[in-house]
Amino acid sequence: MKLKCFLTKLYIIAFMGLVVFFMVLIWNLTFAHLIHEYHSRKSGEEAQTHKGEKKKDKNTFEQIILKSEKRVKNYLGYRVLEQQYIEGHFHHIGLDIAPDRYSYCSSCHGDMPHDAVKDIRAFLNMHAFFVGCQTCHVKPSPEQATGIYKWYDRVTGEIVDSPVTGAHPGTYGAKIIPFVREDGVLVRIDSQDKIDFVNEYRKMERSLSEGQKSKAKKIIHKDISKKPIMCEECHRKDNPLLPLAALGYPKERIDSITSTEVVGMIKNYTKFYMPKMLHPGESKSSPAEDQTVQPTAPAESGEHAVE
Amino acid sequence: MGNCLLCHKYPGLSRVDEAGRMKLMFVNEDIFNKSVHSKVKCEGCHTDITKIPHDPAKPVDCLTECHIVEPTSEQKFSHKEVEKFLNNSVHSKIDEKGRPKQFSEDMPSCKDCHDNPLFRPLAFVKKVRPGIAEDAMGRCRVCHKKEDFIFRFYNHITTRMHKSRSPLNIAQACGKCHDDPELVARHNLKTKAGYSYSETFHGKAANLLDESVPDCLDCHVVKGKSVHQMYGNDDPRSSTYPANRGNICNSVDCHPGASVKFANYKVHAEYSKEQSPVIYWFTTFFIILTGGTLLPLMGIMFLDLLRRLFPNATIMRRRK
Repeated sequence: MKLKCFLTKLYIIAFMGLVVFFMVLIWNLTFAHLIHEYHSRKSGEEAQTHKGEKKKDKNTFEQIILKSEKRVKNYLGYRVLEQQYIEGHFHHIGLDIAPDRYSYCSSCHGDMPHDAVKDIRAFLNMHAFFVGCQTCHVKPSPEQATGIYKWYDRVTGEIVDSPVTGAHPGTYGAKIIPFVREDGVLVRIDSQDKIDFVNEYRKMERSLSEGQKSKAKKIIHKDISKKPIMCEECHRKDNPLLPLAALGYPKERIDSITSTEVVGMIKNYTKFYMPKMLHPGESKSSPAEDQTVQPTAPAESGEHAVE
Repeated sequence: MGNCLLCHKYPGLSRVDEAGRMKLMFVNEDIFNKSVHSKVKCEGCHTDITKIPHDPAKPVDCLTECHIVEPTSEQKFSHKEVEKFLNNSVHSKIDEKGRPKQFSEDMPSCKDCHDNPLFRPLAFVKKVRPGIAEDAMGRCRVCHKKEDFIFRFYNHITTRMHKSRSPLNIAQACGKCHDDPELVARHNLKTKAGYSYSETFHGKAANLLDESVPDCLDCHVVKGKSVHQMYGNDDPRSSTYPANRGNICNSVDCHPGASVKFANYKVHAEYSKEQSPVIYWFTTFFIILTGGTLLPLMGIMFLDLLRRLFPNATIMRRRK
């Protein structure tokens, strides 16, 4: 009897839930629709007042930043191609890569962090899609260095098997991260302690004094080496910095990465475009000037990079 | 493609430029090879790229003559005709006397309507491969030996035999400008065209990916002309000029036998007090009637259920 009573009450509660659900649905379709229409008419009226004149540029966060979150779908009949919308972009992207939610560097610097050297920033950003920041920007001391690198998942941060084989180049959904030796133990360079520290800093940032902020930033960036790892240190046949085979690169990919085309191109970039970054303070000359006026100076810088 | 893809095959090849715009330099080779430009080499459009490494590429001029030879005229291929059509259309940046129109910068350029067009060979919903005619391809192979040629030629022809974009994609492309309230106001247009289309039967079917319903181009382009030859409603050359409208709906493919008056209903009627007051108040009345009936009904049901849940509950203190 008690069970029957309980089941009846349960039934009534479920039914009440259903009624509430329908009330919300009906509200959204009727009165909420009218209210929405009223507000959009108001904004439409505002636009009408600008008839024949041009409004100043859009400048809200949503209009500028979040519009890149828009997606477009191309209905091709036999398939639907869905992709991110980039204003003015002509070629199709056709694939998505999950954002790096794990890297505590990109939580501040973003997924396209390179901007300083205009001519090669796209190249550097391209590498940042599958190479962890610390791989190039931290040079562990000889005691710490292990030469061990592994892949971590861009979303979960967990160490995963090599995703290279079978994947389209650069679409691995994983990044290379170095392992270092701390107190004799092998650990990831982006240890949980460091991640917690950065997360805490980001949470507290607004309440910190200027001095505290500077101190925190110093600590966060203390491992960063002044000069990053340079292209040639990996793109070379003999003893490249990254153990490409151990990272799961098949032989033909290794041959491609260290091929004459790639290495030659890097040399050209080093010669003509790059290394004012290694001489901060010098004014940057145009590539044309580099080629004609001072052909030797940038090349020297390139040699510095290999040293 | 080979040399360029050495770098451009990487999806991360990207930067944010000085104006804060995201630039993605990635080219998806698989998709590019299924596009109408698949035979055009990179430098055919990006003509300023002559060496590697290269400086930042200049914007592409779609009117450039590329290295493809147009087979009937044996001339180099270009989109120059489109410019002539466009300059003579409602979307032109210049007026009849060749002077720039007011707000000419609002007028569309190629990339406002087009991304790289993809082959859309004849295929029906749920077919997972492009095209349906393996038999036809088999016939091609009797005489033509190059698989690449057969693939492209077949796709080129079959793509051109029907809409190259779905009605929904067409409406979205037009809506980019025609649904922007500022643009609509600035150019004194009577309706947010994409929105009002989506409110119609045709628009709702297009939204469900129906391929047979008319989209913007079916009504606004004169049959047999290019979509770039579109004229304003007040231009006698236009298909939507009042005297020509009747012939849109009663075409053999749509509503054969319909009277010419059939097309004179408010095609782009919005739920808007200013634009269509009768429709507005009529709709509003029914919305209020629906909500005003169903919501109290639901409220009564809720209270009834509440009483069944607590049969003896009362807010007032019971008399002893």
